Amino acid sequence: MRPEVRGGTVRHLPNSANDCIQGLIDEGPLDARMADGTAASPEGARPGRRRGASEVAAARRSEAETDALGRRAVELSRFYSGKIETVPKVPVRSLGDFALWYTPGVAEVSRAIHANASLSFELTGRWNTIAIVTDGSRVLGLGDIGAEAALPVMEGKALLFKWLGGVDAVPLPISVETPDAFIETVARLAPSFGGINLEDIASPKCFGILEELQKRLPIPVWHDDQLGTAASTIAGVLNALELTHRSVKSVRTVLLGAGAANLVTARLLLTLGHDPHRLSLVDQRGILHAERDDVDELMLRNPWKYRLALRTNGGERSGGLAEAVAGADLLLAASTPDPNTIRPEHVRAMAPEPIVFALANPVPEIWPEVATGAGASIVATGRSDFPNQVNNSLIFPAVFRGVLDARARSIPDEIVLEAARELARHAKDRGLSPHHLLPTMEESEVFPHVAAAVADASVRLGIARRPLSHDEYLERARALMGRPGRLVHALARARLTPPMPRPSARPPTRKRS
Amino acid sequence: MTAPEEAVPRPNATPPLPIRLRPARPADVPALVGLMLRLKRLNEEFDPLLKVRDDAEAQARSVLEANLGDPKAVVLAAEGVGAEKEKVVGFVRALVRERPFYSPEWEGVIVDIYLLPLYRRRGVGEYVLREATAALKGKGAGVVTAEFPAQNEIASRFYAKRGFRPITAVHARSL
Repeated sequence: MRPEVRGGTVRHLPNSANDCIQGLIDEGPLDARMADGTAASPEGARPGRRRGASEVAAARRSEAETDALGRRAVELSRFYSGKIETVPKVPVRSLGDFALWYTPGVAEVSRAIHANASLSFELTGRWNTIAIVTDGSRVLGLGDIGAEAALPVMEGKALLFKWLGGVDAVPLPISVETPDAFIETVARLAPSFGGINLEDIASPKCFGILEELQKRLPIPVWHDDQLGTAASTIAGVLNALELTHRSVKSVRTVLLGAGAANLVTARLLLTLGHDPHRLSLVDQRGILHAERDDVDELMLRNPWKYRLALRTNGGERSGGLAEAVAGADLLLAASTPDPNTIRPEHVRAMAPEPIVFALANPVPEIWPEVATGAGASIVATGRSDFPNQVNNSLIFPAVFRGVLDARARSIPDEIVLEAARELARHAKDRGLSPHHLLPTMEESEVFPHVAAAVADASVRLGIARRPLSHDEYLERARALMGRPGRLVHALARARLTPPMPRPSARPPTRKRS
Repeated sequence: MTAPEEAVPRPNATPPLPIRLRPARPADVPALVGLMLRLKRLNEEFDPLLKVRDDAEAQARSVLEANLGDPKAVVLAAEGVGAEKEKVVGFVRALVRERPFYSPEWEGVIVDIYLLPLYRRRGVGEYVLREATAALKGKGAGVVTAEFPAQNEIASRFYAKRGFRPITAVHARSL
């Protein structure tokens, strides 16, 4: 049974990085009565089945917590004036040391790099520094809010990169109008970084930007909304198939939603040997297929979706979700945060022991209890208060740790799949069950293992500039991932990071009629 | 010196074409109307002055019906092969026009070429163009031209690769 919803935690952020943020917030429960509980859709809206009381409570709690957390986040952002800062990593005993760290000594370091550019990975912090670049065109669920407004989110991501992956990440929202300008700007920034993390860019332009930058840059480029989410989904799928004794080569799969994550999930499934004819994508216009009315428009505007329209579905199904799910083994939804998107009858129409991933945040496409009640054997969501959280935070810090430690030149799909396989393997080692499909954020040992698996894969693929042994990568990842925690605690102990102020008085609650 | 394995003749690597062309028949009109609308909607993507009208379906039907009985028009239907033999998956429509001032006097204009996405590439477009050109030549055309939206770079490249060059330009502004 699913655990009780605990109060006072940050569970419903779209990036799902909740528990680790929770580790940084040390305060008491937030009162769910602060909101008036209108978040839940009307009970009994679905004929034939009432939603469980705990789900209504979860939805109401979700909205209440989100409101309260939002107020608290603004308060703390004002108090701390941002989330990260630059801290020296060398001793400075006196101003005299600057003759080494700066002129004249540093000139010799520059000369060495001028003679051999790859030394920038040895003699500067480039080896461990990435840029988090966004144009602010699709920030969380907020839409196109622009570069400045994206900055707090990118700062938060930088904090996560450091906290979980030991990676120095620079938040870099940029003000650009076109994908070409985005690509040009990032390409010019590349000499300063060991990797690029693209973030919160609208689909479908995110695909072209990622593809072009991956082609042009000699360092790893990653778009978390595509690759991170897809990799954690694939990890969950691999274990769900294992638990139900199925093979990816013979299942029928429906992907609901054809945005950044699901288009990549589909591509990765096909790479794993999924029969394209047994895979259907469904979006707002129904089942994607080669003769759909909008297929030429897709050819011009979204060639990634167009290519899947031509490859998948076997040309045999048309219609909507109801037609797509008939006899399907797997339903992977990354679509609309509405618990009525997937109906119980959709689950009932699937093959025996159906697997349902309802990954919309903060509200899944179907409540897990409803899916289970309709016969789902395994249910995963994007939330940490239900079992089987599909969470990209399990992937991106470790992937970057791995590619940075191997000094990989790129991140091909083989590496994305290796990260997924390692994540799946780790959960399996701990014992698979329908409620334990994936590691949780508490299972922190998974991070260095995924990092080492990624680094190993870079070596195997011949894209590692610094090939080391598995044990060396693992040890290095453990050391680098362990350091930020010690650093943060040391700063807190020394009162260099002031303790969190108590929450200010609550704003007046709305009058109830 | 030739390596022994290279001396062995290879089987023809070109896969068989997934379509077959034949003159369109009145019974094809409903399918052709659907394909023509797809083409016009594709054109609409390139320029707001190519916005498809609400009555485009009726227009497509009457244009096709007129062309099917017109000796100066060529309408070829592309049908699938094998199990899809009866399915119309594309078409080409071309007209022979007189050029009162220029020589050659008769111009064969390819006005519509459309193939459903799964029947594109693999030399299909080439085959359709060749067959249409031959039919136009048979009707007396001494030059073949193609009309398509100026912004359609895919079409520009397709024709340029096959020896076509721009000879007239149509520039527009809305009133």
